[in-house]
Amino acid sequence: MPSSREERVSRRKFVKLAAAAAAAGPLLRFPGGAFAEQSRRKTLRIAKWAHFLPEYDRWFAGVLAKQWGERHDTEVIVDHIPVEEVGARAAAEAAAHHGHDLFMFPWPPAEYRQHVIDHTEIYQAVSFGHGNVDRLGHKSTFDPGTKRYFAFADSWMPAPLCYFEDWWAEVGMPLGPLHYGSLRSGGQRLRAKLGIPCGLALAPSLESNVTLHTLLMAFHAGVLDEQGNVVINTGARTVAALKYVKALYEDAGSPEQLGWGPGGNVQAMLARKSSCTINAISLLRAAEAADPAVAKKIRICPPLAGSAGVMAVPHVTSCSVVWKFAENPAGAKQFLTELIDSSKAIYEQSQGCNFPIYQKTVPDLIVRLENDPHGDPPYKYKELKDALHWTANLGFPGFANPVAMEAFNTFVVPRMFLRVVKGEASPEDAARAAAAEVTRIAEKWKQA
Amino acid sequence: MKSISRHAPAAGGVAWLTWGALLLLVLAAPAPRLSAQTTVDAPESPLFTTFNPPAFDFNDAFYTANGINVTQLDTPGAARFGFFRQTGPPAPPGFVNWVVDNTGTDPDRKNVRILATTGGYIDDGTGAPTQFISILAFLLDQTFFTGVANARGVQMADIVNNFEAYAALRQVDSHGVFAPTPCGTMGDGTTPCFPVTSVATPALRQDWRFATNRNAIDGSAPFGYFCDDILGMWIITYFWYVDTGFGPHQTAQCHQMLAALGGKNGLTLDGSPIIKTADELNFLEGSVVGSNPIPGFLGTNPPSPPCTAEGKEDMGGADHGAVWLICPALPDPRNGAITLDAFLDQVHRPNGLPLDPAFTANFLCLQIFGAFCSELTPAQRQSISQQVAVTR
Repeated sequence: MPSSREERVSRRKFVKLAAAAAAAGPLLRFPGGAFAEQSRRKTLRIAKWAHFLPEYDRWFAGVLAKQWGERHDTEVIVDHIPVEEVGARAAAEAAAHHGHDLFMFPWPPAEYRQHVIDHTEIYQAVSFGHGNVDRLGHKSTFDPGTKRYFAFADSWMPAPLCYFEDWWAEVGMPLGPLHYGSLRSGGQRLRAKLGIPCGLALAPSLESNVTLHTLLMAFHAGVLDEQGNVVINTGARTVAALKYVKALYEDAGSPEQLGWGPGGNVQAMLARKSSCTINAISLLRAAEAADPAVAKKIRICPPLAGSAGVMAVPHVTSCSVVWKFAENPAGAKQFLTELIDSSKAIYEQSQGCNFPIYQKTVPDLIVRLENDPHGDPPYKYKELKDALHWTANLGFPGFANPVAMEAFNTFVVPRMFLRVVKGEASPEDAARAAAAEVTRIAEKWKQA
Repeated sequence: MKSISRHAPAAGGVAWLTWGALLLLVLAAPAPRLSAQTTVDAPESPLFTTFNPPAFDFNDAFYTANGINVTQLDTPGAARFGFFRQTGPPAPPGFVNWVVDNTGTDPDRKNVRILATTGGYIDDGTGAPTQFISILAFLLDQTFFTGVANARGVQMADIVNNFEAYAALRQVDSHGVFAPTPCGTMGDGTTPCFPVTSVATPALRQDWRFATNRNAIDGSAPFGYFCDDILGMWIITYFWYVDTGFGPHQTAQCHQMLAALGGKNGLTLDGSPIIKTADELNFLEGSVVGSNPIPGFLGTNPPSPPCTAEGKEDMGGADHGAVWLICPALPDPRNGAITLDAFLDQVHRPNGLPLDPAFTANFLCLQIFGAFCSELTPAQRQSISQQVAVTR
């Protein structure tokens, strides 16, 4: 039996214990008494990319996640990560093997496949209620090498062309430019006549990544082929696309484009400082909220036609992963499974920005697009009716694999274009350098 | 398919075939001559069952319902059949491109039946000479669209954007000078450039290619040509040989590829190879297309720099040529869709012979026997072969 002297705690030891307890904070569990109920309550930590419409994130955390937590006796903590910080935060968590239970990306997180669970069981669970995942979701989250799903896709955002109808009508194109040739020729006349430049995003950002991958695709070029071979500098199409963008910039662009940060193209459109851009319809929603008169003049149309036809990559492919090191993997999987039940609410709360991966969850999507409550005219958004047809996954024509996604997240394509536009490299040299960079990435993943 | 009641063949004309009395009877009904022009019913062949209707222009209400500005369509620039171009190319001297015919029963069509039948390669990868269309009108800019969506809520401009008609304009002028770039917005601003203001047949170096095969089922387009593009419209994609492809600075790579392709497909009026398929064009443009579509060429990578290029005219009308066409393809050109008084509009050599006799053969097979040549009996095929041989 210990003596009373031994039971006594020295002052120095007490201070140490108190400090440790304070540092541990909420991780401590206290048995018995008033804390018993709290101890049984689980926690689900979610990192979610910050939506372009802040009100959506407020609803996601304050209503959707909260109500799910109440149903499952779980405290759900949602951290909203700015899109430009998503990559760094995810990499840090993967490196530390510690962090959130669930990480929601705005693109397919193929680089993290060794850090995440196989999400097949989530797709299977969802299929009982909503059918199979569609082509876009499948090709964005499936690894054909391991036959596993490295992520779970719940929604996506189309990337149409947004343009000011009144200005394009001034150059005889009230329906918008519709193909890349007219984007340049009309944009040139428009800038000369009205002084308004064409506002495609060029500086490295999500917007430029989407814009320039879309453009490459339309020019019959791409980073990888279907088998995953590096083809960005095979043939002459990438060089043709580079020459086109340089000419577009010189004929119809503006120096401000080169300095835009995230959302710079959106801000320029909202300020009526550019005539068109490629973006999700969050741009229009922001305009509708801020200045309905400006919003009325912005129209959308399907992606511009190129030699490969009418194609685009999604502005966002919302893909979630449950980390292998998640402390509450069961809760994370359950949350994702039930997330699809809320697809309709997600579509509505995102004001039509987030299209469902599971089509049946919003069966009247086309009717809604034809008669939008905020659109002026209300049928403005019907241009998105066939968005799933003209949208291809990142990594097209193959799957979203680690090479394609690392190239995406390190802005290989925007940097290649920017070098040419700035005159720092010839189109041929820039394409060659980009190919070398992607090849290095591919070699790294071969050894991984 | 709607059936159309027709009367007896119109009499008079030139016999094309010499395959017995029956064939002579059939062939006694060629394109109506200008002097006899008032209203003409479609002459019907006694050699096959007729159930596919020939091409008629759409009526104004149907154009309007599908977002087309009829006022613009009826201007000389659009050159709509029924108002303009009754004579002149592509009709031979003394013949007409269209006739008034009141026998049609389709409520969406008017009484202008089209005789000028333009041939084209199908865009399904085979390059088969099986497509036949009627060029009803040319659309020069976006003012031809009203911006009003069709009954399904889709803008016609969005639909037509998916369906490309590939036009190959002549690049070698009458002095033998090769122009490696188009004039106008599609070009690079250098000279010499070739004009892009007309896609009339005399301005072409080879026959058209039409993407009639695109559809939503196989994902090749959000829409299907025959189910969604109900005016049969096209956006014109112009394609041409660039300087490094066929000009003075032709690369060894392009030289080798063009020689191989020319051996396979034959040569255009310019002396450059005929391009029949999307893969051939895309490959020569420098795109990776999976496998080399040019037999005999060693290597799988596409050329760099490219041998060809493509583009579309400015949609605001800055190029003063046709941006879009209203020219519906015949869904099924067999069994009466090509009438005995129709004529084939195709590219001809300076000596008057067809550049690609395969079009001539198929047209005659369809016109005389109501079927493609590949579907005929040996005796029927032989008779057509004899006739095509006459045209060579």
